[in-house]
Amino acid sequence: MNDGPLIVQSDKTLLLEVGHPGADACRKAIAPFAELERAPEHVHTYRVTPLALWNARAAGHDAEQVVDALITHSRYPVPHALLVDVAETMSRFGRLRLEKHPVHDLVLSSTDRAVLEEVLRSKKIQPLLGERIGDDTVRVHPSERGTLKQALLKLGWPAEDLAGYVDGERHDIGLVEDGWALRAYQRDAADSFWHGGSGVVVLPCGAGKTIVGAAAMARASATTLILVTNTVSAHQWKQELLRRTTLTEDEIGEYTGTKKEIRPVTIATYQVMTTRRQGVYRHLELFDARDWGLVVYDEVHLLPAPIFRMTADLQARRRIGLTATLVREDGREGDVFSLIGPKRYDAPWKEMENQGWIAPADCVEVRVTLSDAERLSYAMAEAEERYRFCATTPSKLRITEALVKRHVDDQVLVIGQYIDQLDELAEHLSAPVIKGETRVRERERLFQAFRDKEIRVLVVSKVANFSIDLPEASVAIQVSGTFGSRQEEAQRLGRVLRPKADGGGARFYSVVSRDTVDQDFAAHRQRFLAEQGYAYQIVDADDVLDDA
Amino acid sequence: MEPMSGEFIEWLRERDDEQLCALASARPELVTPVPAHLAGLASRATSPSAVGRVLDRLDRFSLAVVETLAVQPAAMSVTDLVELLARAVPGPGEDAGALPGKGPGKGGRTAGKVKSARAMLAAPVSATVERLRMLALVYGPCEALSVAPGVREVLEGPAGLGPPVFDAFRHSPQDRLELLIADIGLDPAAPGPFADSAAARERLADLLDDIAVVERLVAEVSPQARAALGELAWGPASGRVPNARREVRTSTAKSPIEELLARGLLAATGDESVALPREVGLFLRGGRLHRDLSPEPPPLRGTSRDSGLSDRTAAGQAFTFVRAVEELCERWGFDPPGVLRTGGLAVRDLKRTAQLLDVPEQAAALVTEVAFAAGLIAASGGVDGEWLPTSGYDVWRVKCTEDRWAILAGAWLSTDRVPGIVGDRDERDRLLNALHPDLRRSAAPEVRAATLGVLASAERGLAPDLAAVLDRLAWEQPRRRGPYRDQLVEFTLREAELLGVTGLGALSAHGAALSSGSKARPQSRPNGAIGNRSAADLLGPLLPEPVDHVLLQADLTAVAPGPLTAELNRFLALAAEVESTGGATVYRFGEQSIRRALDAGQSADDLLSMLERHSATPVPQPLSYLVTDAARRHGRMRVGTASAYIRCDDSALLDQVMADRRSIPLRLRRLAPTVIASRTGSTALVDSLRAMGYAPVAESAEGDVMITHLEARRAEAAPPAKVTSSFAGLPAEAVTAAIRAIRAGDAAHLARRRPTAAPMGQVPRTPSTATISALQEAIKRGTRVWIGYLDSQGNATSRILEPARMEAGYLTAYDETRAAVHRFQLHRITGVTDISD
Repeated sequence: MNDGPLIVQSDKTLLLEVGHPGADACRKAIAPFAELERAPEHVHTYRVTPLALWNARAAGHDAEQVVDALITHSRYPVPHALLVDVAETMSRFGRLRLEKHPVHDLVLSSTDRAVLEEVLRSKKIQPLLGERIGDDTVRVHPSERGTLKQALLKLGWPAEDLAGYVDGERHDIGLVEDGWALRAYQRDAADSFWHGGSGVVVLPCGAGKTIVGAAAMARASATTLILVTNTVSAHQWKQELLRRTTLTEDEIGEYTGTKKEIRPVTIATYQVMTTRRQGVYRHLELFDARDWGLVVYDEVHLLPAPIFRMTADLQARRRIGLTATLVREDGREGDVFSLIGPKRYDAPWKEMENQGWIAPADCVEVRVTLSDAERLSYAMAEAEERYRFCATTPSKLRITEALVKRHVDDQVLVIGQYIDQLDELAEHLSAPVIKGETRVRERERLFQAFRDKEIRVLVVSKVANFSIDLPEASVAIQVSGTFGSRQEEAQRLGRVLRPKADGGGARFYSVVSRDTVDQDFAAHRQRFLAEQGYAYQIVDADDVLDDA
Repeated sequence: MEPMSGEFIEWLRERDDEQLCALASARPELVTPVPAHLAGLASRATSPSAVGRVLDRLDRFSLAVVETLAVQPAAMSVTDLVELLARAVPGPGEDAGALPGKGPGKGGRTAGKVKSARAMLAAPVSATVERLRMLALVYGPCEALSVAPGVREVLEGPAGLGPPVFDAFRHSPQDRLELLIADIGLDPAAPGPFADSAAARERLADLLDDIAVVERLVAEVSPQARAALGELAWGPASGRVPNARREVRTSTAKSPIEELLARGLLAATGDESVALPREVGLFLRGGRLHRDLSPEPPPLRGTSRDSGLSDRTAAGQAFTFVRAVEELCERWGFDPPGVLRTGGLAVRDLKRTAQLLDVPEQAAALVTEVAFAAGLIAASGGVDGEWLPTSGYDVWRVKCTEDRWAILAGAWLSTDRVPGIVGDRDERDRLLNALHPDLRRSAAPEVRAATLGVLASAERGLAPDLAAVLDRLAWEQPRRRGPYRDQLVEFTLREAELLGVTGLGALSAHGAALSSGSKARPQSRPNGAIGNRSAADLLGPLLPEPVDHVLLQADLTAVAPGPLTAELNRFLALAAEVESTGGATVYRFGEQSIRRALDAGQSADDLLSMLERHSATPVPQPLSYLVTDAARRHGRMRVGTASAYIRCDDSALLDQVMADRRSIPLRLRRLAPTVIASRTGSTALVDSLRAMGYAPVAESAEGDVMITHLEARRAEAAPPAKVTSSFAGLPAEAVTAAIRAIRAGDAAHLARRRPTAAPMGQVPRTPSTATISALQEAIKRGTRVWIGYLDSQGNATSRILEPARMEAGYLTAYDETRAAVHRFQLHRITGVTDISD
């Protein structure tokens, strides 16, 4: 028996005992081909999926290495079936290649004729291909490059895209490192992206993904299209680029609901790109407006389906995806793989935290008990009203107040779902509130005031979920949320994870009504956070009130 | 069949007891039941079915020796045999398949080559001859070896040769034969009219046996005809042509086939079939029977693995397989799939099982079939049968992992069911379901044993290719080769890997112990337990050791970094849900699972202290919170069963009822001052209360609570009968006894002596202990005894016996009175007298 830190499970999950002396070496060995799924305190769970194996293959690892890593580090014998499966899956990548052809432009070629015959027979593939050039080569229409890759992945024969990229219109972009420096991992991320051609960089919230984007733009030095989730996020990208690069105000355009600027660097929102009028995407021409040398996708895990379709046509351009997680709640990880590209860089949250790049966070769940009258009303509430009822119970007001009082010296963010509740809270705490109807200008003013510590407490609705930057929020209190979605949790946690000036820890409270559906949703949250390796604690509301 | 040759019987009689025992051990079917005398043994040994059986077990080289002898019309010496065989050994770089242009001796083989081959073959040939003698396939002294009677008949077309001339032309009319002889004979005038067709055929055979004649005839025909001969030379020695019986002469022959027919180089054996006569075939082969004969089996090619690694991998797979069987049985205990009307498991259920075990369907079929073969699952009786774990499963699951594996692997090795064909269609295009009664192939256990035998003969750590294994098996049992067996071999290799008998394609140490254990079983280990034991012993140390701690985490999971000790395993199975299995087990605690533990009588403190005791790390706060929170809510509401209730606004009256002694059998319980619940039905309650002098009124009552709970169920059916496969041999004592009995019978048979007359006087009466010791003595000394015996009607009789063996309350002995071997019940023997002269 081997005394390794790794245990291989029959469902292709890998359990890594963190406290084992060999854990670090093992983590390095398995990270290329296994996705970290859960990272609680003692045993981390990695999962070996076909996509993960193909990612590893795309990064130049072969099956022998994977099998070797498993056997070397595994404590128990590894079931043979699993090893065979790994080798078989990995060997599927790269049998088909998309290549440039001197005469026929783009071709699909194969090292294994049987595979080529198999995919040629598929009804989904046939319309995407042109005439056969040789025994092992088929012509591909350049416009079908993305769709073909998607379809091949679905058949289980992912193609390696070696057809290269157009350079795009040259535009000098440089990083201005005054008073800050590119962190080592950010440089690594940009480099691995550049060498890989296209792909996804996975970094936790607060780890400076924008800067990785800027570094990638500097490497490309070409006109760039940046796609972001919303307008606030677009503004922030612009601010960051102005601060970190040689780009000037005139060179950066915003393409949003209000402005339609097309400049060498253009930032567009997903929303405007997916706006349809009479069934037609009206802003598609943006993709062809310039000869873009690079396309940046922010928050890839939120990329809407229509953007995927548009991206299928952009395969000749370099693409970089930035995200905190490859897990998509719609399960379209495969499309990210085939259309944006394989994973090029990945760093686990905990490791970044240990290095001090993101703030460590303490998560506390506060359970409030409903009064007898509330319990009765709750029992009688309609099913669809139940969550709202228990999530907005008045008991939460007092607790929130007590918590805010407890952190007198901290910047506190109160996050909620229901506007009535937020208004009420804002009134109680005499704090400003940001919600959907708040104008962008007002929003930014409040954010700035919060940053400048003019305001200590800010109440926000879910509009603040994505891509806002609140560097000094060290305490977040969540009073209600949308059904415990993992993504939302990651985002909200991201709000308080930005490195603090004083290097202090962050605290994330969620206030939950006991014995209700609210508690069930909280259980999802608890699981997610604990899986991410955060300390998680449950306290009773009475204890909090007593302390106060 | 030729008449039983006296020579053969004589030869058999001269063999010593040890040699006959070896024969009976190797061919147990010859002594079951025990024949009366050696003539009987000889006739059984030469029957077509017995000969076919033993020939089937010969390797390619031994078979070639038999074939070479069989082709010879008369006995031959070992030296000549070596000479003949040496021609068939390919020299280095020689094209074994080339058609010799000239006669034997003058062919491509130089004398030097044949000489070296001769030297190389001498030892293996004499060893093989010795073995064939032992098997009674070949007999006679080394100067004049013959094949045993019956062998020639069974070996149809030895080495792919056609029938001899005499038989090949059996269907040709006499006039046609005469023309043929005239055409090929040197002197066309010579052949006179023959007495009959047989005489003509004998003459033809003489002609074609002459190498010079055949050489001349072959030289005469066109190159196309020679090519056709080349096709037939190495078999199959028959072909199909339209109108094979056409009348052709050398002068009229047009096509190549006609040229051959006209010269007797081909014989018409039917309207549309022709055959190459054996004499011609032998000439074309240059006087040798085989092309590339080697006394050594072909080498095993394959990938070399680190044997430690392959053992560990196999152990990992073994562990996984045992887990899978356990998981299957556990699930089926609660949620059994139905038995199809045709027997077997529905495709849908197999799919579900595959999903449950997270394996492909083919592997799920194997798990199911092995569990069935090991008697762990069975169909429950009844109209709507269900597949349920048996009580045997309960015995199995408490054993340690290595023993459980040994049981499964042993069952797999000996079952005649073939999981590999699940999902295929039978000849009537019906789907073969898992657990279907027709999923049996009698050859399966033997092929499995043979395949593992091949793997065992390979170097440690070598993972032979499928093709190499097939080649080796084709050498070892050439007569049994076929696409169907090849498929079974493929299944065996695949299944051995899944069962953890092999790891990375190489036979593991425990797998080797399993396979040798099964082979050794017939002789020395009657029940196989010892053989499997050692496999389990080898496997044990490779399996993960049981651990007595888990790692508790804040995400409410517990990771058991190995198989758990029984106590902890039971505890976690109760208090948590299994999330993933493998080398480790991941458990998840949830409100439901905690509640289940509380329901089972655990308190929050019990749970927490158990967790603390077995956790390598502090219990995370969310987990202890979960436990206390679940306990806080647990049991606040109480539910019970009552059949009826009594309610009354006057609580004093109810006090009175409770105090009344006569109410005790009513099993009343006071729930509240004004409510009493009763376990007695409402009608009976009303009657009883009336009898006690009260005046109750029945209320229309709803609300009987039915509590249903799952209970693991077990099939009543007996586990499937153990397959006793034909290749399993006899225990050594049985063989010795059988031979002794035959000898005795033979002696009697030979002497034709009258049975010893019963001594005068009373039928012997001895105490039973004396009876047994006297019989043992007689067995030891091989003497005859006179016994008194009560027959099945209770009549006292007496017999003269030569006792051979005593076991399990029976005496096996040669009964001179009846000239046959019989079994006698010991308790019916009334007495014994020694009557040896």
